[in-house]
Amino acid sequence: MDSRKLEELLQKYWNCESSLEEEEQLREYFRGENIPDALSEMARLFRYFDEQRARTTDVEFDPTMPLQLKTKHSDKKGKIVKLFYNTMRIAAGVAVLLAAVYFVRQEVRNDNTIAVEDTFDDPQKAFEETKRALLMISKGFGNAEQQARKINMFNEAQEKIQTPTTEENFNN
Amino acid sequence: MDLETFQNRVLSSKSKLFRFALRMLGNEDEAKDVLQEVFIRVWNNREKMDQIQNMEAWCMRITKNLSLDRLRSLQRKGTYPIAEGFDIKQTDATPDVKIELGESMLNVNQLIASLPEKQRQVIHLRDVEGYTYNEICEILELDMNQVKVSLFRARNAVKEKLMKINAYGL
Repeated sequence: MDSRKLEELLQKYWNCESSLEEEEQLREYFRGENIPDALSEMARLFRYFDEQRARTTDVEFDPTMPLQLKTKHSDKKGKIVKLFYNTMRIAAGVAVLLAAVYFVRQEVRNDNTIAVEDTFDDPQKAFEETKRALLMISKGFGNAEQQARKINMFNEAQEKIQTPTTEENFNN
Repeated sequence: MDLETFQNRVLSSKSKLFRFALRMLGNEDEAKDVLQEVFIRVWNNREKMDQIQNMEAWCMRITKNLSLDRLRSLQRKGTYPIAEGFDIKQTDATPDVKIELGESMLNVNQLIASLPEKQRQVIHLRDVEGYTYNEICEILELDMNQVKVSLFRARNAVKEKLMKINAYGL
């Protein structure tokens, strides 16, 4: 291939205007010997493409083998395991919640038991006790009323003192 | 589709499918796994196969999609470096790949590996596999313009880097 043609093909190649046939011509040229030094990197590139194209694999696939079943089965197993883990997570959450509710209820119940511990078995006794308690409260109220009356007396006296004073001020 | 048709139309292009998966994943074992998945998927859908005109392009498209899925899942798990930049890919080549390619070819391999994903796919399909532009559009589900722009950018990026290597021996 003469250098002008080569230059033209390379230009087309870099501009993505070359056809597959022209690219094959370039490939063919770079496979050969006597490549100018200036184009040695280009030759390397084309040889790399050639080498890559020659790569094969030993992977085989026989659809008659139960491969798909195996794959499906392993997928299913994965799903079941995932489902199991998710269920266990939720179960753990619920267990913690239930334990918390149980302890809170236990606590509340204990408080209530203390409050109702002093009940009497005999109704008569209970009545007497209630009466006594109410009398005590009543007595307390009585005392308080007496004290309140005293305060009231002070208030009245204060009002009496204040009224003539204001009247005097008014007269002056 | 019977077994014979499957072997003739699908298994015959297994090397192309493998190379494409390998180009996208950069790991031979992962590429082989993807290839098996492609075969299983095609075989399980064999009833619909008769309507497909270009079986090879269709298989290549499945390979691309499954490889992308695999790539994302590997990146999510953090077991795979995110394909960005030249330096990350440089460390990517395993010793057996190094021996297989030879040092000089390894440089070119790294150059192509460092390209953005779409450009890498397009340059592989055109320059390694020799697909027509229409076939590349079908495989990558892109329009002609996108394919040509990606190929132009990919080739010119490679050219520029090769020039640098030639000039400075990098």
